Parts: sequence; structure tokens; C-alpha cells
Amino acid sequence: MSVTPEKLLVVNDLSTTFATAGGPLPAVANVSFDLTRNETIGIVGESGSGKTVLSRTIMGLQPRTNVAVTGSVLLNGNEMVGTAESVKRGLWGTEVAMVFQDPMTSLNPVMRIGKQIDETLRVRLGMSKQDAKARAIELLELVGIPSPSQRYDAFPGQLSGGMRQRVVIAIALACSPKLLMADEPTTGLDVTIQAQILNLLDELKERLHMSVVLVTHDLGVVATRTSRIVVMYAGRIVEIGSTRDVFANHRMPYTRALLESSPKVSNASHTRLITIPGRPPNLLKLTQGCSFAPRCAYASDKCHQERPELQGADQPGHSFACWNPLPTTRGDSAS
Amino acid sequence: MLRYVIRRILMLIGIIFVISIGSFFLIHLLPGNITAVIEGPGASPENQAKLYKLLGLNRPIYEQYFVWINNILHGNLGTSFISQTSVATTIGNALPIDLEMMFLSQILAFAAAIPMAMRSARKPDGIVDRFFSAGSFTMLSVPPFIVVILLVLFVTYKLGIPHTGPSSYVSLRADWIGNLESMALPAITLALGSFVVYFRVLRSDLIATLQEEFITMARSKGISQRRIMWRHAFRPSSVALLGAAGVNIGGLLAGGFVVQYLLNIPGLGYTLITSINTDDYLLVQGIVLVVSVGVVLINFIFDFIINIVDPRISRE
Ligand SMILES: Nc1ncnc2c1ncn2[C@@H]1O[C@H](COP(=O)(O)OP(=O)(O)OP(=O)(O)O)[C@@H](O)[C@H]1O
Ligand code: SF4
Ligand SMILES: [Mg+2]
Repeated sequence: MSVTPEKLLVVNDLSTTFATAGGPLPAVANVSFDLTRNETIGIVGESGSGKTVLSRTIMGLQPRTNVAVTGSVLLNGNEMVGTAESVKRGLWGTEVAMVFQDPMTSLNPVMRIGKQIDETLRVRLGMSKQDAKARAIELLELVGIPSPSQRYDAFPGQLSGGMRQRVVIAIALACSPKLLMADEPTTGLDVTIQAQILNLLDELKERLHMSVVLVTHDLGVVATRTSRIVVMYAGRIVEIGSTRDVFANHRMPYTRALLESSPKVSNASHTRLITIPGRPPNLLKLTQGCSFAPRCAYASDKCHQERPELQGADQPGHSFACWNPLPTTRGDSAS
Repeated sequence: MLRYVIRRILMLIGIIFVISIGSFFLIHLLPGNITAVIEGPGASPENQAKLYKLLGLNRPIYEQYFVWINNILHGNLGTSFISQTSVATTIGNALPIDLEMMFLSQILAFAAAIPMAMRSARKPDGIVDRFFSAGSFTMLSVPPFIVVILLVLFVTYKLGIPHTGPSSYVSLRADWIGNLESMALPAITLALGSFVVYFRVLRSDLIATLQEEFITMARSKGISQRRIMWRHAFRPSSVALLGAAGVNIGGLLAGGFVVQYLLNIPGLGYTLITSINTDDYLLVQGIVLVVSVGVVLINFIFDFIINIVDPRISRE
């Protein structure tokens, strides 16, 4: 009997490189972090920073062709990198499941939603038709869909975005996964629905004893819901630490820029949304230096020549990658 | 959905009405003495008089139309003055042959196209896909009558089976094995043409569908590749396929005549050609009417199937 590992997820030096017409595209590079049981970790970063690719690679759900994955992902003791799809299939749904980014495209438009939930239960858990239907209706109820037995026969097109995302969550939860990857589960939904879905996820996480990887580009979303935060830029982790450290004591200029661009955490007086000037780098043309350098107000010569590695900050578990880190506010007040 | 169906049925009735007017004028607008033209060179005065009355030529044109359509609705398409047989009977004998040929060829075409398209779409531009695609592209450029000739040559000289040629058609009722033998060549020929279209349409739609997010989602459930193909990818990829099938099957009804003529299969196409050659206008009219209505009905049925297969369409 194998011992249940203490960490549910251990990601070590994970890189995902796509073979494209323009050459190798390093969408995720040298990512390492881990996750304990019942923990929620946030992954934040601008659009294109590699959040989706990272979360899919962790699951082993990257495209089947034109992609190279190196490093290691231990999911409840199972190595996901380099593993045959037939083996991963046995882990998907039960060990790890994903809530996809866009509920408008992630449900099969020509299959009744009940059937889409049933399918997992019948194929993966070997339930009978009747049992699966009963369980599917329970799941629809669990995720807060009104009159679930009627909705069971609806097509996705007959439901609103928020309702569809609830269905996606119901599917993800069908086989009681230990880890839930939530890839921007509320993008594209309106604000009140966003809060509802996030609260639902929180509640279900507690109830079902899951760990959650919550991906978002909105720091406001992760502020109160995660214990730790991973900040990504151009496929790399540029800062990682406890949620408190990342909010109150970040050292990396990009993290600050991200915080300032997030309307919910800025001062009440600063209602204007500040977007980070410039664009994320072209991943096909990365330079030797810090990939944030072209947009960074603190950039020095060194920043353009050499890439900063992650280094430990004052607090344990807090690291950042920057040559000219921001001063620590906590350090000042403590002294 | 119900509203959609009602709308389509009203449209269908409208189209059939237009077709009936077209077929009506096909005869009634013939120049000169219609009765003489219809009956051909052997027209006798009394037959002419009979036809004159039958067509109601002494009455106003709209009344003529109502008389005509009333006859048709009672299954009376007139009696050919050339062969002295009822047009309805002649068509009734020929039509099942077309239907059988259509059925066989479509079964063959789908049985080959669907698994091959699925295999191709799994790895686009892979070695299997390249082979299938190149093969289908070659076939696309060869017209059916060439295929028939090549097939006949192949069967006769390579396989040494005596040419199942003219007047060797065996009816299904008489001897079903013999019937299948005589139908094999035309069915394969027609199947090839359909197959190429079905394979290409389904392949490209499957490739597009497999890129969709809901396929990744299905994959993340941990279900088999086979199940993803059949349960998730096939149905949303089959709209264009069904559209093509509707057009194709209609086309076979109207256009199977080349193959029928070359292989002496006495279906509607064959009969149409013979009736044109013998100036059998009433028979031409009957066949045109039946074929046109048939094509419209087939399209209607496929439209309906497409709506069931993809509920997004009638909702839009
Ligand atoms: N299959 C693929 N082939 C090639 N490049 C890809 C592929 N998938 C993603 N990429 C590239 O990887 C990079 C990271 O994309 P990713 O979707 O992970 O970003 P993201 O952080 O999830 O952004 P968003 O917030 O918009 O969802 C992008 O530059 C994208 O173009
Ligand atoms: S390393 Fe330099 S360029 Fe990069 S974030 Fe730090 S200061 Fe800015
Ligand atoms: Mg994403």
C-alpha cells in the first residue's frame, strides 16, 4: 500500500513548449509550487501569461500533438508528465477535474446537460442509468440550479451563462475529485453572478474537502478566497507567497502593477481602472533578460541582460524574481 | 420547433404548387397542335380528340390546371399514347429501382466515409489522413461515367466475371441475389461520388469540432477517445454532412440516369431518356413531376433531420 503523500500536488520545474510555425513557444517555463490538502491557491497573471496552459499541463490535458512538456507534476502521488493518456484518463474526474474558462463553449451544444453529467457517472463510476440520472439531478441541485429535474433535459443553449457554469461545475464535481482546477470560472459572467459562482465554489470546497487551484486575472477574486498566490508573467512565476504577503508586501513591480490594475483592491478614491502600460512580450521572441523589463519603471541595464531567478523574501514561502525589488513595507514598520 | 416545422411545411406546399404549375405548362405550352405533338407521328384523329377532351383544352387555362391536378391527386398521370400504358404504372415500376440503387449506394458511401473521416480527423495531415485525402481528391476529379466504364472493364477482364451488361437487370422480387449482383456496379459507382463528398465534408467538420473547448472538456472527464468521437464530435459535425446527403440523394434521383443508361438499369433516369427519345411527352411530364417532388421532399426530410441533430439551428 502506498502512503498518501502529504502534499496533494507537487509541481516541479514544469515547462510546456508548443511547436508552432514561428518556432518553439515556451508558454510555461520552470514552474514549481505545491499544494496541501484542502488548500486553495490562486494563479494570477494578465491574459496570455500561461495560466490556462499551466493548469491544463498540471492535469496532463495539454494538446496531444506539437507540444513538449518537461519537469514533473505529482498529483496525489501520480506522475502526470509523460504519462500515457489511458493512465491519465483513470485520474481525470476522480483525482482532478477542471472548471473551464468559458461556459459558453465548454458544454457540448447538442447534448442535453443531464446526459453530459450522466456520462461521467456512468463511464467513470459504472453507475446504472437510473442511478446516474438520480445523482445528476442531485448534483444540479447541489450547484444551485432551480428545478433540476426539468433542467436535466435542457440543452446548454437554453441556459444563461451563470447556469451553464453551474452545470460545468456539477460535471467537474461528479466523481468527487480531490483537486479542482478552476480556470477563470467567472470570466464573461456579470458581477453578481461572478460572486455567486465563486461563493458556490468556496462552499463546495469546504463541504467536499477539495483542494482548489483558482486561476484568474483579477486579484480581487483571489484576495479573500486563497491562502497563497502564484503570480505569473510570460509563462514564469515571478512572485509567490501567502495571500497576505503578495498583497501587502509584494516585491516584484509586476505584482504591484497587477494590483493597481485590479479595481476591487485599489483605494476607494481611485476608482479608475489602471491598466498596465505596454503589452506582454511575444513568447517567440523572449530576450535574455527579465521579460517584464520593456514595461517596467524600475528596469536597469542588468534587467535587460540577465533574467532574475526566484529568491526568498523575508517571510518563509514568499519568493520573487526581480533585480530591483520594491522596498518591504512590513520590514520597515517592524524595525 | 413546432412553429419551424409548420413554416417548413407551408413552404413545402408552396414549392410543390410551383412545381406542379411548371410541369403543367411543360405540356400545355407546347407550340402547335398539342395533341399531335403529344401523340407523336402516329397520332390518329380519334386519339387526338380523346386527348383534347382529356386535357380539357376547350376550357380556360386555370380550369385545365384544376382538372389536371385533380387527376394527378387521384394517381392518374395519364396514359402514354406511345406505349399505351398508364404513366403511373410505368413510374411505379421504375421508381423502386431508383430507391434501391439510392439506398445501396448511400449505405456504402456512409459506411466508408464515416469511419475514414474519423480516422483522418484524429490526426489531420498524418500519414493516414494524407492517404485518404489524396485518394478522395483523385476520385473527385473522375466523373461517374468514367468510373462505370473502368469498373465494368475491371470486373470483366480482371475478375473474369462476364459483363453484367444490358438487359441483365434482375428484379428484387424475382431473385434477390441476382438483383444485388446486377445492382452492385451501379451502386458502387454512385457510392463513390457520394463517398468523396461525405468524406471531405465530415473530415473537415470533425477537425474543426475537435478543436472546440467542449471536446477538451469531454476529454477531461476521462472518457475514451472513441466515445469522444462518436458521442461528442460526430453529431455537431454532421450538419454539413446531412446537408450534402440531402442534395446528393436528391441529385441521385434526378441524375442517376448516366449510370442507369450505361448499365441498363430500368430506373426512372433510364425511362426518362427512353421517353425523350420516343417523344413520349406524358411520360416525360410524369417523371419530371415525380422527380421534382421527390427532390423537394428529400430536402425537406433532411432539413428536418438536421434540426433534430443540431437543436441550435431552429433556435436561431
Ligand atoms: N495550443 C497552443 N499552441 C500554441 N500556442 C499556444 C497554445 N495554447 C496556448 N498557447 C499560447 O500560450 C500562451 C499562454 O496562453 P494561456 O491561454 O495559457 O494564457 P492565459 O493566461 O490563460 O490567458 P487568459 O487570461 O486570456 O485566459 C499564449 O501566448 C498562447 O498563445
Ligand atoms: S527585474 Fe528589472 S525589469 Fe524585471 S521586474 Fe525587476 S526591476 Fe523590473
Ligand atoms: Mg486562460
